[in-house]
Amino acid sequence: MAPLHNQAVTKISNDLLLTQVVTATLELIINKALSLNNKSVSFAAVAQKTLTLNLAELPFSLSFTLDNTSMPASIIVRSGYEYSDCTINTSVNTLKKLKTNVPLTQLIKRDELDVSGDIKIAQQFSNIALSLDIDWQTELAKHIGDVPTHKLLQFGNKITKSLSSTGKQLEADISEYLVHEKRLVVTNSQLNAFNQMTKDVASEVDALSARIDKLIADTAGQ
Amino acid sequence: MSTTDQNSQASDLPTTSEIPANVDNESTTHFGYKTIEKDDKISMVAGVFHSVAKQYDVMNDLMSFGIHRLWKRFTIDASGVRPGNKVLDLAGGTGDLTAKFSKLVGREGKVILADINSSMLNVGRDKLRDKGLVQNIEYVQANAEYLPFEENTFDIVTIAFGLRNVTDKDKALRSIYSVLKPGGRLLVLEFSKPEHELLNKAYDFYSFNILPKMGELVAKDGESYQYLAESIRMHPDQNTLKGMMENAGFEQTSFKNLTGGVVALHKGYKF
Repeated sequence: MAPLHNQAVTKISNDLLLTQVVTATLELIINKALSLNNKSVSFAAVAQKTLTLNLAELPFSLSFTLDNTSMPASIIVRSGYEYSDCTINTSVNTLKKLKTNVPLTQLIKRDELDVSGDIKIAQQFSNIALSLDIDWQTELAKHIGDVPTHKLLQFGNKITKSLSSTGKQLEADISEYLVHEKRLVVTNSQLNAFNQMTKDVASEVDALSARIDKLIADTAGQ
Repeated sequence: MSTTDQNSQASDLPTTSEIPANVDNESTTHFGYKTIEKDDKISMVAGVFHSVAKQYDVMNDLMSFGIHRLWKRFTIDASGVRPGNKVLDLAGGTGDLTAKFSKLVGREGKVILADINSSMLNVGRDKLRDKGLVQNIEYVQANAEYLPFEENTFDIVTIAFGLRNVTDKDKALRSIYSVLKPGGRLLVLEFSKPEHELLNKAYDFYSFNILPKMGELVAKDGESYQYLAESIRMHPDQNTLKGMMENAGFEQTSFKNLTGGVVALHKGYKF
């Protein structure tokens, strides 16, 4: 049943051209971001080079080719490209780890990442992505005007400040609890010791009560 | 040399009474549902495309709800085009495929945008120049049946939504085969026969009732869009076209139905 199901999914995906919808959307987003970039980025090293990503979560590959034949330079996204300069087989989770500076070699050792071809191409594409510097405020103002952008950013700043102060308050409360309150709280061992002492007192009281009863009985017998 | 257009599916269509027998003889061919003299077809098709050239892109987006862009992306993906390749975009019209190919072949490569119709070629050239695509594109007015290029010139030849307008498709396929390099591939993107009867009926209704009205409204030319609908029905179905490609010499031929077979991408290699 599984192969039949997979075949059906592939057929529907082909019919609806979902792969092409994804590549077209990605291409649009990437090139928009490139066009808004304020920093000058050198594309020469990756001109006409292709980086292919095979993500475990996607049933198709994504190939990124940098074109600098026309200005501005742009990235073309396609699928199923056979002659990539560098191919990376990985998952979205591993890509996130790469962002947090987990060493590449460690990921390759753990079989989370497989690179074939020229790794410099991957590094250069990554450098382009990391060097993007976009002035969102100016860009937003072009579309909705200066005043709404100002208001929107003011509102955004307020929310950010409020979230930040709530976070700081929460952090302070937790610190205070840890420093002062925690010292007053009865620990498990103290509770166990208290329980033991109570049991000891109870057994001593029981023994004393038994001795008193015995003394009373002896006195009554004499 | 065969000059017969095979169309085994035509008789299945709901509008059979309107469809003429799709058998050409030595001197006649079809223009939509009309049977005409072969010599007249080029000028009649030219008339249609001179008329619609300026509104061609707008109409394509309207008629296909923008899906033609995805069909073309699929074609680019299937082409496996590489930097340095030489590509012929035959019947390239307003240059959608050429624009993409130009970026992918780079400075070392070359794309030839060829079309028999000068109006379409002019619109395409203006559009591509406005996009700044000038370095590696050449424009050639050419008839697909008599391609004015040396043998073994191109790595890839594409013909998107153009083959059905060609008078002698067999001759055009042989001409394409000749200009392809050994190892080169041909990609034919063309309207085809929907796989499901229900889709076929809905598609027929859309093509013959809505499409010409849209043409009338937007391009002020309902007749050209009536021809478009008719020419699609007269075009060979998937398997027939695959056979025609094999007859022309292509090997490892295959086709992929897109959007339920409304469109099909045929692929074949020259070895």
